[in-house]
Amino acid sequence: MSDVLRMGYVHARVTDLARAKDHYANTLGLYPTLEEDGKLYFKGWDEWDHHSVVLEEGGVGAVKFGFKVWGADALDGIEKRAQQFGDCTVTRMSAGDNREVSDGVRVHLPCIDHTFEFYHSMTEVGLEVGTHNPDAFPRHLVGVGAPMLDHALLMGEDIDTAARFFMEVTDFYTTERAQTDLSDEHQTIAYWLSASQKVHDIALLRGENGKLHHFAFQMRDWNDILHAADLFSMDDVPIDVGPTRHGITRGETIYFFDPAGNRNETFAGGYTSYRDRPTIIWTADQLAKGIFYHARELKESFTSVYT
Amino acid sequence: MPRLTVADSDVEVLLKPGETILGGLHRAGYAARTGCLRGGCGVCKVEVTQGSVTYAETVAETVLTPEERTSGICLICRAVPQEDTVIAPRPEFKLRCVAPFLAALARK
Repeated sequence: MSDVLRMGYVHARVTDLARAKDHYANTLGLYPTLEEDGKLYFKGWDEWDHHSVVLEEGGVGAVKFGFKVWGADALDGIEKRAQQFGDCTVTRMSAGDNREVSDGVRVHLPCIDHTFEFYHSMTEVGLEVGTHNPDAFPRHLVGVGAPMLDHALLMGEDIDTAARFFMEVTDFYTTERAQTDLSDEHQTIAYWLSASQKVHDIALLRGENGKLHHFAFQMRDWNDILHAADLFSMDDVPIDVGPTRHGITRGETIYFFDPAGNRNETFAGGYTSYRDRPTIIWTADQLAKGIFYHARELKESFTSVYT
Repeated sequence: MPRLTVADSDVEVLLKPGETILGGLHRAGYAARTGCLRGGCGVCKVEVTQGSVTYAETVAETVLTPEERTSGICLICRAVPQEDTVIAPRPEFKLRCVAPFLAALARK
């Protein structure tokens, strides 16, 4: 089993911190937990750790992604296996390198030019509904009221090596894969990888190195997805796609852009995955149905816009 | 009010104060290829051949480089013309009329 519990944080760049704060706090309804040194920290109401989204001013796109592991001992194994894997830079990070985050292992994968941090603890600030006889949700949620971070889709040139890293070093498994065809010579277009029973904790799409396609928040159901879309219209948030369903993962979705142009997703549903569940394969000729189950047509902006 | 003209077309729009190029095109019933609509992806770049634009929002230098700015490239989702402006889009700009009645109104 993987030592990784979930994607715990995303650090992203934004062009204007004040506008970003309005989007993430007032439209998405995340809880600001800290503002310091030009960085904004947020958590969702159903998260207990100090933050899951960190925004820094200057530029656009992703800075790095954090994965929380179960116990400090897990770091030794990840560090050792990453060093054995090669093709990556492995460094130890100290407690406090990231505000409120424990020591950990930082890995840079040049094959996709993305940075990942593995850590075992973060200052716990608590669920917004508490832990003693909790209510079903906080009474005064703001806007969408996104409960928690769910996953991210990253782009890179050599996603085969990156996927192998996550499978060999951190023991993720592939829930779904998009590939050119079913022949032995096929090329993989995208991987959906899970460390848990979520349908994906991270996805990798062949494309430009270092680019962010989107990061997603976990919603309860289709009703909340529709409600979120209504709020995006009220707040003049550009919607890229949706509300609709993915064939891939069966998830229900809206894609939209933050004020800097980073793509966000509100994601609900999807099936419960298991490590022994057969990997689902999508072929290029049916990729449009896989991505947008109802329109069954690829949308130019979805496949060509990223930060 | 600045006049926006699209080269090699009959599209002319009188822009409102502070209106972006894309805002004016939409109001006049036209659509074009766009991306994030937030100045973050660079998909909507076009060349300004006459006139000048400014930006009310911060645009990252990684998206629109200083060299591009100097050479007259702009992001239509964020660029606000300061004077009569002519843009010369490439074919991938995909300018098209999506609301003929708005286009007719805009021409009056």
